Parts: sequence; C-alpha cells; structure tokens
Amino acid sequence: MTNLLASPPFAPRDDAGFLNGMDEICRWHLAGCPEYRRVWPDWSGATRLADLPFLHVGVFKRQLWKTAVPGITHQRTLRSSSTTQTSASMIALDGRSSALQGESSAAILKELVGDAMRPLVILDSAQSLRQRGEISARITAAMSLRFLASEIHFVLNDVEAEVGWDHLLPVLARHQRLLVYGFTWILWRAWATGQIPQPVRAALAQTEVHFVHSGGWKKLEAARVDRIQFDAALLATVGPASRVTDYYGLVEQVGVIFPLCEAGYYHVPRWAGVLVRDPWTLEPLADQPGLLQFMNILSWGAPYHSVLTEDLGRLLPGDCACKRCGQQFELLGRVPKAETRGCANV
Amino acid sequence: MSEKIHFFATPHRCTAAILPFDLEERLKHWASLRFKMVKHVHENFTRDEWAYLVAFLDEANLRKPFQESFGESVTGGPAQPAALLRPRGLIGIWLPNNVSLLGSLTLLLASFSGNPLRVKAGSGAGDLTAAFVDYAIQNLPDGKLADYLRQCVRIERFDRQDPRNHQMAAEAMVRVVFGSDQAVSAIHALPHPPNSMGISFGNHRSEAWVEKDALTDERLTNLIRVFAMYGQAGCTSPRRVVVLDGSDEDALALQKSLVRLWPKAVRADVPMHKASQNIMELQLALAQGWHATSAPRSGALVAAGRIGLPEPTGLMSLPVVSASLNEAVATLATNIQTIGHCLRDPHDPQWLGLIARTPAKRFVPIEAMHHFGPVWDGGNFWRQFFEEVELQS
Repeated sequence: MTNLLASPPFAPRDDAGFLNGMDEICRWHLAGCPEYRRVWPDWSGATRLADLPFLHVGVFKRQLWKTAVPGITHQRTLRSSSTTQTSASMIALDGRSSALQGESSAAILKELVGDAMRPLVILDSAQSLRQRGEISARITAAMSLRFLASEIHFVLNDVEAEVGWDHLLPVLARHQRLLVYGFTWILWRAWATGQIPQPVRAALAQTEVHFVHSGGWKKLEAARVDRIQFDAALLATVGPASRVTDYYGLVEQVGVIFPLCEAGYYHVPRWAGVLVRDPWTLEPLADQPGLLQFMNILSWGAPYHSVLTEDLGRLLPGDCACKRCGQQFELLGRVPKAETRGCANV
Repeated sequence: MSEKIHFFATPHRCTAAILPFDLEERLKHWASLRFKMVKHVHENFTRDEWAYLVAFLDEANLRKPFQESFGESVTGGPAQPAALLRPRGLIGIWLPNNVSLLGSLTLLLASFSGNPLRVKAGSGAGDLTAAFVDYAIQNLPDGKLADYLRQCVRIERFDRQDPRNHQMAAEAMVRVVFGSDQAVSAIHALPHPPNSMGISFGNHRSEAWVEKDALTDERLTNLIRVFAMYGQAGCTSPRRVVVLDGSDEDALALQKSLVRLWPKAVRADVPMHKASQNIMELQLALAQGWHATSAPRSGALVAAGRIGLPEPTGLMSLPVVSASLNEAVATLATNIQTIGHCLRDPHDPQWLGLIARTPAKRFVPIEAMHHFGPVWDGGNFWRQFFEEVELQS
C-alpha cells in the first residue's frame, strides 16, 4: 500500500496497485466499522474503481464514523470550515492515518512550492489552534505547510479578522522569501483588498512571496472576482518572481491535495483516485460532467477513504500540457440547489 | 361597495350572510380564470402546484365553505334566518418562507368572505401568493373580483423583525398565521384588537395508515404521488407509512412495491441536489439499521424497518413500518395533523373510537391528504372570517 507513496505524486500511475490498495482499505473498514458494513452488506470485491464502496460526503455531517480496529487510536476530530449554511463535517483522526496524510500532503506541496525552508505566514488567528479535541480544516490546511517553515506567523488578529501588518514588518525585514497560506476568500479580503500600510507595502515589493490558497471560490464568485483578478491583485502587492498556487481539497479527503496546474486542471496524486458519476444513476462517466468521487489509501481510522462529493466535475482524458502524469479533472462548481417548497414547518 | 344578502339553509337552520359581492358572479369569475389556467402552467409554479390550484378552483369545491358552514344556497330568502353573518374586517395572513400553495389557497377562500386582506409573504423565498394574484388580475374578466384583488388585497414581503408585523397585528380583525409554533406565538403576542380572532397553523406532521388487504397498485401509486409532491416538507405529506397489524415482511413487501411503482407515479427526475441528498439519506438509513432502497434514478429513499429506529429525515425519505393499532396510536407525533388511510372499511365504527383517542385533526383517504379546506387543523377557520349576529323573532 505505502509503496505508492514512495514515488513522486504525479509520477506514472500504478492502477492495479491503487485498486489493490483500495480493496484492502475497504475490507479493513468493513471489518471494523459496523455502520459502514450495514451500508455495504453485500460487497465482496471489485475489479474496477467504480465498484468500490463509497460514502456520500453528507453522512460525515450527520454522524462521526469510526473504524475500531486494534492499532488504531482515534485522536482529534477534524471539522470542516462550514462557511456556507450547512453544518460541519466531522472526521475522526487517528495516528496511523495522520502520519500517511502528512507524508502525502508534504510530497504534493513540495512538488508545488519546492523544498526551500522559509517563513510561513498564515492568514488565520493563533486562537484557532487552541481548541481541545477538535481541529479546523483551515488550520489543518495551513499546518500542512509547516514542514517547509523556518518560522510560523499567524497574522490575522482575533477580533477584526484583519492582518496585523505590524507583526509582519519585522519578518519582512529579515527575509527575502515568504510562504503565505490563506483560505481563498480570506486572502482576497484581508490581503488583496486589505489596507496595507506604506512601510509594509514597500517591504513586500522587495519580497518574493509564494501564496498558497485553498477553500473554494464560492464567495469570490458571488463577488464576481475571477482567478485572473485574484492572482493579479495578490501579485501586485509583492516582489518579482512571486507566485500564486491554488489547490482543491476537502476535509473528507484530508492529506490529499489536488493542485491546479497552469493548464487549468486539477491533478490527482498516484495514491488517490477520482471518478465522476451520473447524479441520478451513479453510473461512472468517462468524460461527461457529474458528481466527483475521490478515493485514497491513507484513511484507516474511519471510512472516509472513498467519498462521493456534491462537487461537479469532469475527467480529462489524455496527457496534460503541464506534463504531470495520472488523472486530471475539471471542477465545475457545486450541485445547484433549488428552493424547497412545502408548508409552514419547512 | 354594494352589498347583497345571501341565504343558506340546512334542514334545521337558515342563515343569512351579507356579502359585498354576488356569490354566483364570484364563482363564475373564478371559473373563468380556471378555464384560462388549464391552458398554460405559470412559470413560478410547478406542474403539480398549478394542477392543484386548477382543481381547487372547481366550482363545487369553492361552494364547500358555504355548504359546510351555513348550508346550501337558497334563493328568494327563507322566512326566518336564525343568524346573520357579516364580514369581520381586515384579515392579516402571515406566511413563512418556502411556503407552497397555502397562501394562494387561503386567499382564495378568504375572497369568499369579502374581507380586505393584508398578506405578509416570506422574506427569503419565491412568493407564489403574489404571483397568483398578479396572474388573476391580468386574466380575470373586469368586475368585482378583479377589483377586489386589485384594491382590497395587499401583499408585502418582509421579515419577522419588520415593524409592519406590529402594524398588521394592530389593524387585523383576524390573524391567520402559518409558521413554526414559535413564530405563530410571536405574532399572536403582538398588540391586537381585543375582539379580533387569532387562527394558528403551526408545526404539524402527517402519516399514512394502510391495511395490506386494501392496497392496490392504484392506491400505492396515489400514495407515492401524494408524498412526492412535497416530500417531508409538506405538513400533510406522510412522514411514515404504517402497515396496521402487519409484520416486518409486510413492511418490506410494501417497500418493494413502492419502489417498483415509483417511476410510474413520478415520471420526472428529481433535481440533482435532491438525487444527491437521497443517496446520502439512503446510506444513513442503512447505517441506522433500516432496510432501505433508493427509488429508480435516486428519486426517493424508501425504507422498511421497525418502530423505534431513528426515522430518516431527508426531504424525499419515506419510512415504512409495521405496527399494531395500539402501537400506531402510541407512536403518533403529538403534533399529528392528517392521518391518510387506505383501509378495507374506513366506515367501520372502530375507526371513530380509535381516532378519538388521538390528537389527529384529519382522517382522510390518502388521496385527500393535501386537500386544503375551510376546516383545518381542528376547526372551521373560514367561518371565523365572519361575525355572527343572533336573530330571534
């Protein structure tokens, strides 16, 4: 199973090895999670990814799933950011999976931002770390970059959720390269359109910054901000050779990062997989838009290794211009919601 | 406004009602609108909603409030009415968000009282009441009904904090409030005229009771159609189906029949987000121990199981359980509104005794579960739109 992690994330895929790994992890959860077994009572094996068991992403909002097997110790619960009106997903983290997930995200992030150590500036508040027993998806995403951090600075203040530029100035005085992580809409609001004091602005103009963001575009789409505007606004604040990297990820696939390449497609690491399913029949779709399903061989503490999402996407056949190998997909937004009408007690 | 005295009679009592319109003309005008409605579905309404409105505008249905409240209409005037009814005054109607046809239907019934109306529509959703009134004004023949809708019906959209709630409560002689129990209480707690009436339509749920020997494919198809119209969002939709005196196998057999008949009963696909939600609900129901199956093309979740399992709560989730009569009664929700039945002999006197032991407000064939009328939630609310004057010679 872990052999897949031994090669670079976007090296040529080992499809048979991945299917075997998924088969093993499915059997593991069927043996250790009674609720999961009740959902898939008749499953006995698969000869293709489309026949593997999966759970709908919404079930993680309604109950905490756990696989109780010797050797698995559940630790904290990871909670989604729940920026929309829906409730938060809950993922039971465990030591074994966390190690693999850390290894996975580090390998992918290295591929994206290089392995040079530099200060990591996180657009979040330090307060977010101080929750006992739980950890937010936002902080998990930010902290996945800590292996590249020579020092870490949380720069969003707790009260106004604005960047504390005063704290950034001494960091800029000491370093010419920075890594900055933020949720997409926070980066836009607090940095790209924030009021940057002149001394900070001047220092930033001399600094090479690599912005990394995730979390989705829903709020920015509502504000009619597209990727070109977003990148341009961020890069206008910093020095030459700065870059912006966007990736897609979801709390129910923690540890797996799907980077957006220069050609505009998201790429799947070799220890993960993606399927697109017809929303009504669940039949797998080769190149038509449908519901995205993600799989990975990292998640052993609860059956979130194969998750049908409510994100719409399309698989892209062939090779990508960016030269990464493996599966690639296009993200087409969320399943459209319509008004539900009924009686007074809706 | 010219007024006309109308007379109604039962074998034992005559009633006069003074109305600011001619009843036959009003019926004729609504009928003419109905004729136009059958030709084209309004874009704001679903096909089912529009069809229901068309059916509601049937003349025989529109006469029912008078028949059920006062008796048959009689011409010429009986010798001695025992009561005179007169419109009570402004009716305030509070509608919540996402409400389907209740606003339009209440407005239709209220139009036969002649009272002016002020309607507060939900602030966060499409407003079908205003859409229907606009359509009616555009398509009705010139006359008193069109004038009434234009001049005496005011529809506004605002939220529960808006000061206009106070204004409405202060001036309405009848408050008709749809919404959560909390919202209903809040409106009735606003200062209001001491002689005004409050009518509450709060949180309710409904269910279907069936006997396996009474089930046919036709009746099951009707049950599916009734459920599928609103799913669990309708207070008159069945939240569960109870197979009376059935076994676990009977519940499973019914589940299979429902799934088999679903595509015949509901031909259109559910929207994508509902299909997705049905997949989620299916997995949750299975995890909780239900024998759950998806209707074709993820159109719904039908789950068979035992009373006591946590009920699936998805919009298009229909649980089926078997229960003895006593279990069925004991596990009824306290806010039960309608029990839709499919029984071998619904006229059997045992049902009267049984229903008397429940808080149910309606016991009607499954096909009639959504049928709104002047008697609702335990009383004849339409009659309250009138003030009654006792007459003695």
